[in-house]
Amino acid sequence: MLNITELQKEAWQSFETSGLPTTRDEDWKYTDLSRLQALLGDKWWQVAATETAVDVTALAIPELDAYRILFINGHFDAAGSNIPTSISFTPLASLMQEKPEKATELIQHQPQAPLNNSIIAANSALASDGACICIADNSHLDKPLYILYLNSGGSNHLRTGIQLGKHAEAEIIEQFSGNHTQAGITTVVTALRLHEGARLEHTRLQMEATKQYHLGRVEVSQQRNSSYTLHSSEVGGLLSRVDIVSQLQEPGATSHLNGLFVASGRQHIDHHTRIDHNAPHCISRENYRSVLDGRAHGVFNGKIVVAKGAVKTDSAQSNANLLLSKEAAIDTKPELEIYNDDVKCAHGVTVGQLDKNQLFYLKSRGLSGEEAKQMLTFAFADEILSKMNHKCVRRFVEKAAFAKLPNITDLEGMLG
Amino acid sequence: MMLKIENLHASVDGKEILKGIDLTIGAGEVHAIMGPNGSGKSTLSNVIAGRDGYEVTQGSVTYKGMDLLAMLPEERAWAGVFLAFQYPVEIPGVNNTYLLKAGVNASRKHRGEQELDAMEFMQLVKEKAKLVELDQSFLSRGVNEGFSGGEKKRNEIFQMAVLEPSLALLDETDSGLDIDALRIVAKGVNELRAAERSIIMITHYQRLLDYIQPDVVHVLADGKILKTGDKSLALKLEERGYDWVREEAHA
Repeated sequence: MLNITELQKEAWQSFETSGLPTTRDEDWKYTDLSRLQALLGDKWWQVAATETAVDVTALAIPELDAYRILFINGHFDAAGSNIPTSISFTPLASLMQEKPEKATELIQHQPQAPLNNSIIAANSALASDGACICIADNSHLDKPLYILYLNSGGSNHLRTGIQLGKHAEAEIIEQFSGNHTQAGITTVVTALRLHEGARLEHTRLQMEATKQYHLGRVEVSQQRNSSYTLHSSEVGGLLSRVDIVSQLQEPGATSHLNGLFVASGRQHIDHHTRIDHNAPHCISRENYRSVLDGRAHGVFNGKIVVAKGAVKTDSAQSNANLLLSKEAAIDTKPELEIYNDDVKCAHGVTVGQLDKNQLFYLKSRGLSGEEAKQMLTFAFADEILSKMNHKCVRRFVEKAAFAKLPNITDLEGMLG
Repeated sequence: MMLKIENLHASVDGKEILKGIDLTIGAGEVHAIMGPNGSGKSTLSNVIAGRDGYEVTQGSVTYKGMDLLAMLPEERAWAGVFLAFQYPVEIPGVNNTYLLKAGVNASRKHRGEQELDAMEFMQLVKEKAKLVELDQSFLSRGVNEGFSGGEKKRNEIFQMAVLEPSLALLDETDSGLDIDALRIVAKGVNELRAAERSIIMITHYQRLLDYIQPDVVHVLADGKILKTGDKSLALKLEERGYDWVREEAHA
């Protein structure tokens, strides 16, 4: 086995050989990284953070009662963290020093993985820190674990690994934010392993500063009867690409992926999701929505692969998109690959504007045209957020998402 | 005068549906407009409420001395015009009560009145819900979301009660209602009759008029008001259909 230095060197060579993904790659057809170098320079991966101070209080979710693991500019911040004693936690940077063989497991680059790309290899080579967490068998975390990744621009490379033992239960909230005004980049991989009967509720909030690039990946591997729910909100950043790769490895595993994009201006948001039904009797549900204004561009690709032996697979996918301006665009593509007959797979896509009959109904009750539009936009997006567990997290996302849309004037009133 | 419609012509997709409507409604009056399918009844209510897609080619509609056709749908609502829809649309995610509060306060603001606070509003809403025997649980649901046909119609009358319009158009409010629901809806409407509130009921059937007594009954057919009379006209229509009215008009 390679030692960690060799491994990182090899990963870097792999990145250098292929270079950044281009729009000639099928998986990157709609997401163009060619401006990355123009914005951040040839060595885009090692740009220093700006002088802007990271204001934790201003960026964090108010009133959230949770444990906290804080990273600032790609490094663990012990003083700002509050880690439960019931879990085993090591920052990746320490793990690389103290138990390099464990660290290699997490950062190892796997070229055969679905939706593999050179960014992941670069992240393997460059990851400076991240959270390495083990939650023991039968352990139930009493409060959410809030992993807050803040940056003041520059290049950040993070890798987090979380393992839930048998019948363990936890709620994890990952948030990516910054308040600088310069261009920067975040690359991040979150690897999740759920052992038998484990349950994980995972909220992922991408709220990067306005000129930040965000290239992320979530890998979930699930064993028997485990349950995974993702609430992914894409609100910030200039360009965001996140790949969600879910592997249902043993019977009875369930995966729910909920996603919401709210984009305006020239924002570009891309989620590629890939769910592999590798075992019989697994359930997957996918519900993604986008609200796009200005010249925003959204991309959704939802691929579901049902393996030969994965009989009684039950899978449903829905993607609905609301375009608020003529210049906004969405490229959406459901993909099903099914290798046996005994499955239930449904999928549906809609792209549209606000419903005229609903608008007229609201106006006939005395709402102005603008208020009626806001209310319907809000309702459309909020259907995804209503599945969140914590009201304060939901409010936080709602405020961030709708503050950027035009004419939302009575947000407090609508939130009730 | 509440409403004066003169020589109103309106088209949908270039096809003329209303072919010269004349109608005058005084304050506090209840008028029924009856007519066969395709006669233009719903077109008339949509033109009054201001729905897109209806082109007025001739004539005028004057409401309380104002040119109604020049007003936006929401401006008509603020001025006290209310349409109870034939097919109320479902709006998941928009809370029934929130919609009404926004509607009530928009109108109050435009009348220069103080907006209601949350407490005052909830009191108003609870009181009005009783009027149409609408369960409190409906208040916190999405607008018409998962409501049965009868519940949707009751919700329309409930909204009318909360918004307290000067002119209410009830577009086939009786269709799809069983006899018990019809009674409840009619009772609600009757309680909302007032000296300063006029009501136009659009219906196919005489049945509704057993419960809500109109002052005037009009027959609308082929885009025109062919005959106007009192309640006995409705009974005659029930008995003899519409053809004799047509024949009489063409004679």
